[in-house]
Amino acid sequence: MTADLRPPANRMAIALLSLAGAFVAFYLFAHALGWTGPIVCGVGDCATVQASSYAKVGPIPVAAIGLAGYMFLLGMALLGLQPAYAASRVVSGALVAASSVALAFSAYLTYLEAAVIHAWCQWCVVSAILVVLIFLFSLPEVGRLRQSPARGHP
Amino acid sequence: MTRFYWVLAAVAVVGMIVVGYGLSGGGSAATEPVDLAGVEEDMGALISLAQGITLGDENAPLTIAEFGDYQCPGCREFSLGVKPQLDFAFVQKGLVKFVFYDFPLISIHAHAFLAARASRCALDQGKYWEYHEALFTNQSRWAGMSEVVGTFVGYAGEVGMDEDEFGTCLRSDKYADVVTANMRLAMELGLTGTPTVMVSQGQGMARRVQRYDFPSIQAVVEEMLAQGGN
Repeated sequence: MTADLRPPANRMAIALLSLAGAFVAFYLFAHALGWTGPIVCGVGDCATVQASSYAKVGPIPVAAIGLAGYMFLLGMALLGLQPAYAASRVVSGALVAASSVALAFSAYLTYLEAAVIHAWCQWCVVSAILVVLIFLFSLPEVGRLRQSPARGHP
Repeated sequence: MTRFYWVLAAVAVVGMIVVGYGLSGGGSAATEPVDLAGVEEDMGALISLAQGITLGDENAPLTIAEFGDYQCPGCREFSLGVKPQLDFAFVQKGLVKFVFYDFPLISIHAHAFLAARASRCALDQGKYWEYHEALFTNQSRWAGMSEVVGTFVGYAGEVGMDEDEFGTCLRSDKYADVVTANMRLAMELGLTGTPTVMVSQGQGMARRVQRYDFPSIQAVVEEMLAQGGN
């Protein structure tokens, strides 16, 4: 029996979705830093959401946390596409863990928009959708984790 | 695999275009406070930027200042019910000048900041007080809307302004700094609600009127006038 050397398609999907999410998060982060003019918000009320006390965790803009998370997912997905890391349990574990944390955090932010702030930000909704998709594409990694570790991979 | 990297590059290019458009401002109306680049640290600079809009004789002995929010029902009541009485009793006689400062309560009033900016755009065309009244008169109509830019432009036309010029102003971030400075000034003064009415004489300490009905303000004004405000 030979190992499947094709790059895992789910990791390609995670990389693409994470890159898109990183741009969304970067835009909101740039806005939080005052680098932009008025926030572009065709749907919803981004200004209310971004001006709320929930737009920051302490001194850190939520968008910065999102940007870091997306960049981490992007990095791990691209790493996992390299033949040497195709069977890496570390990559699989990192993708499952990071996407699970992202899903929980995104669910909490969506709850805040719906039940506390009573306003929706289109960028936050897009990010939430991306996170759900990333989580779904990370599920095959659970199966890889359950397989016995391949020799030569961490 | 190569095709994947081409798709990844395409996503990157699209992302950069979208973010670039956003960073350039995107042409939408400023609906929230902006960074004042340290102006708020200097009270003198803050007061200078946060210019209230004056009605009446600049040299009147007393000043009635209102910190108001266009989406606040109490401010509507004050503006349409009490202010005309103050105008008739004191402002038109040169005894008092009335100054309106913006204090949009953005945490509870989604359109208050934009409304304040809109009123400043109206000042550009010399229709500030007409527009001020139009916003309060129609408050119950626009307060519940999800999108108000078009409605605000429509009110501009109704009070005789050039809608295109007004719309250009509104769909920018013009006066976002001035309105933000007004808000910061109100916060520095420790104000927490609207309308807040204060009466002052010359450069003296402002006296806050606890209630915003006409008799309460009248009593304070007449007392201060009797104490030497002419």
